[in-house]
Amino acid sequence: MKIGIFIISGICLLLLESSVLSWFSIELFKPDFSIPFILYMSLFMEPLQGLLGAFFLGLFQEGVSGSPHGSIIFTKLSVFLLAMFIKGKVYIDSKFYFSYICGCFSLFESTLYLFLFFLSKGETGNALNILFYAIPNGVFTGFFSIFIFSLLTYMNSKILLKG
Amino acid sequence: MKNSIIIITSVLLLLFSFLVFTGVSPFVKGYSKIKATVGETTGPLLKLVDLPVRYIKIFFNSYINLVGVKRENEELKKKIDQLELENQKLVELEKENTRLKSILNIMNKNPQKMVAANVIGEDLKNLFKCIIIDKGRDSGLKERMPVITPRGVVGQAVEIGRGHAKVLVLNDTNSSIDVYVEGKNTRGIAEGTGGSKLKLKYILKNDDLALGDKLITSGKDGIFPKGLPVGMVVEIDRKKPGIFAEVDVMPFNNYKRVDEVLIIKRQ
Repeated sequence: MKIGIFIISGICLLLLESSVLSWFSIELFKPDFSIPFILYMSLFMEPLQGLLGAFFLGLFQEGVSGSPHGSIIFTKLSVFLLAMFIKGKVYIDSKFYFSYICGCFSLFESTLYLFLFFLSKGETGNALNILFYAIPNGVFTGFFSIFIFSLLTYMNSKILLKG
Repeated sequence: MKNSIIIITSVLLLLFSFLVFTGVSPFVKGYSKIKATVGETTGPLLKLVDLPVRYIKIFFNSYINLVGVKRENEELKKKIDQLELENQKLVELEKENTRLKSILNIMNKNPQKMVAANVIGEDLKNLFKCIIIDKGRDSGLKERMPVITPRGVVGQAVEIGRGHAKVLVLNDTNSSIDVYVEGKNTRGIAEGTGGSKLKLKYILKNDDLALGDKLITSGKDGIFPKGLPVGMVVEIDRKKPGIFAEVDVMPFNNYKRVDEVLIIKRQ
């Protein structure tokens, strides 16, 4: 139930982003709203919920992206696994620290894309794009994570626990 | 113990997604089925979300127009002076008009071969360039169908859902089109760079090509019909080492500002 609401919220946010992006001419930065969702579910909830979140948000994101098959799910699952690795090792005491971690994970995701393209196809065509967008994406993912963290914490503590 | 099972499951899923990415046939087939099922819900949801966004857009544009009326009035007075200069451009516009009419004529002659669609979404990742349109399999769309506007080529349909489709735009690094230089015998491949410009590949340094030349589809790639406008040559570098020149092309369509498109149905 709880995980369902979290995943649906994430999907709604991604749908809104896709729709709004076709209106606003934003090219330099496109924040990845799924990263704060996956990290929150992995770090503050049960591991199974984190895994389900990573899989379904990745699958949905791939549905509205021109990315090669499997690539987004690969990166999202890697984000989940790394989050599981750091779970208990880092102490997230504020939304700002959470946003910093989200920014770092966005950079990690870009590195994974580079790794995927070099390893499997040996194509360098997209490598410059990935490098160019990595930092702006990381910064803006981190920025929006502040608000998403507040939203998810509110949902987790007030709405869902009462229910 | 429970955590170990979850970690093992996620590693297996990670392996599965990697095998899908590398194109191992049985895994790709299985994954395509899962993705198609999820994809069937994506289109209607995106249309639903797009409705209020579209109304907000109309409201926002109307408000901006109202605020801008006074300033626009002053600007219009200045523009009257410029009109005489603009008259000189009429000849050029007439040519463009003829070209656009020819495209519209194609549609009027073959309405059953064209489908009009609205853009309802855009790629969530800026590493890839794709748009999502509100027509799909139900409207007779298939993969690799050309997507155009009266200005020229936008891209090609790559994934088709029941009521929506993904269009890979020209600017994507995976996109390439066989093109001719209009009125000349020069031919090359226009490839996406991921940025706003395209690269025109395999143009010899002594090929007949100049700044401002228009590129049209050659029809030899088996996807795009012959004669559709693609873009304009904006930069030529003949000094670089090798036998080929480096040519930059600005596409006629800015996919970020495209609201409606036409899809040419294959015969």
